[in-house]
Amino acid sequence: MKITVGIVDYGIGNQSSVQHVLGSVGFRCRISDDPGVLDGCDLLVLPGVGAFRPAMEALRARALDRYLGDWAANGRPLMGICLGMQLLANVSYENGVEPGLSLIPGEVRSMGTGRWHIGWNTIECATDDPLFAPSDGQTFFFNHSYVYDGPPEFEVARAQVGGPVASAIRRGAIVGMQFHPEKSQTAGRALLQRLVTGLCGA
Amino acid sequence: MITVKDGWAVQSFGYRRYLPLGRPECLAENLDRWGIDEIIVLSIDRTRRHAGPDFALVRRLGGLGLLTPVAYGGGIRSASDAGKVIEAGAERVCLDALLRRDRGEVSAVAALVGSQAVIGVLPLSAQAGRLFWHDYLSRADDELSAGDLSPFTDGIVSEALIIDRIHEGGPHPFDESLVDGFPTGVPLIAFGGLHDPEQIGRVFAHERVVACAVGNPFSYREHAVQHLRRALPASEIRDPQFRMD
Repeated sequence: MKITVGIVDYGIGNQSSVQHVLGSVGFRCRISDDPGVLDGCDLLVLPGVGAFRPAMEALRARALDRYLGDWAANGRPLMGICLGMQLLANVSYENGVEPGLSLIPGEVRSMGTGRWHIGWNTIECATDDPLFAPSDGQTFFFNHSYVYDGPPEFEVARAQVGGPVASAIRRGAIVGMQFHPEKSQTAGRALLQRLVTGLCGA
Repeated sequence: MITVKDGWAVQSFGYRRYLPLGRPECLAENLDRWGIDEIIVLSIDRTRRHAGPDFALVRRLGGLGLLTPVAYGGGIRSASDAGKVIEAGAERVCLDALLRRDRGEVSAVAALVGSQAVIGVLPLSAQAGRLFWHDYLSRADDELSAGDLSPFTDGIVSEALIIDRIHEGGPHPFDESLVDGFPTGVPLIAFGGLHDPEQIGRVFAHERVVACAVGNPFSYREHAVQHLRRALPASEIRDPQFRMD
């Protein structure tokens, strides 16, 4: 049976790119902020572009913060992309202090004033996670200035930007990617296909 | 680089004459298939016409399912505009007139979409060792000052797209003094007159240059992207990932 991916629509970021790439590898997609629709999905994707605080405010305004917490507590698979990965953490220090979804322990910190990670970079797998291992050494598109800083046990891949930064994190069925797999051409498409299939236990 | 005027992709000759190339979506699809690193779409007439961003174009590009990041510029007047451009399907926004006219709003754009998603567009020329910033609304050329660059040096805008406006679309190559003479500390995307692989390799090697943008040459030669990649030093670029479908 076809896997259905729910793309969480909270008004931040571009959902259509994720929808297109997931559709191109055979998954059915639903873009919605309606728990009734999202409940019927096998996996949720939390996309995101921009700043942490307005994103959390948008999630709270739709009560999606609690919904995602319940979703994760039930062991259902969730995938955060770029800002969506950062939202999985406990707190961010972007423009003040803002609590996150607290689904993967860690904090989100600035890379430093005037420091960004923009463009294509190689990821290095930090563990033997079978979902990420085939992507070791492949290049992905990054576009961020804040980074996840958490216990090493949750880091499954890193990228070198002067020093190592977390490029992918995982806690059970919850996965975050700092890069944009949906904009990373064949490498990104292959990783998304593997992640969705693997996390859904198909 | 896809230059758009009146909704059509055009070949530009120094932003004075234009030759239509077709629908921007068709060019974007080709660049995506050829494994280009990023597609920059500049709608050059939106600000002059007070038309705002071409949201319909960005939505059409977003609807193509491109696997390559897209940066859009043209007509962005506010943080709200920039946010809608991102929602419509672009990963980054390019600001041009706003950089000159409303620094406060530039900061608001960065606060909303993140500085890393904001590119500042600087059409430049070099004369007697000095850099001049062209205002295409007033057509004046003002010497580039440290104050002009504060959005870049203060970390509000992440990269400067410097356009060699004299040599863009012309037979003469990119003026490398634009890069050599640019104040330090600002990552640069070089554009305008870049078509010779040897020169692109040289510009790439400049520590401030993070990208070279190529426009017209990709529209007139078969496999131009692949030829250019092969001619560049492998250390300067990533391995291409061509789409096979």
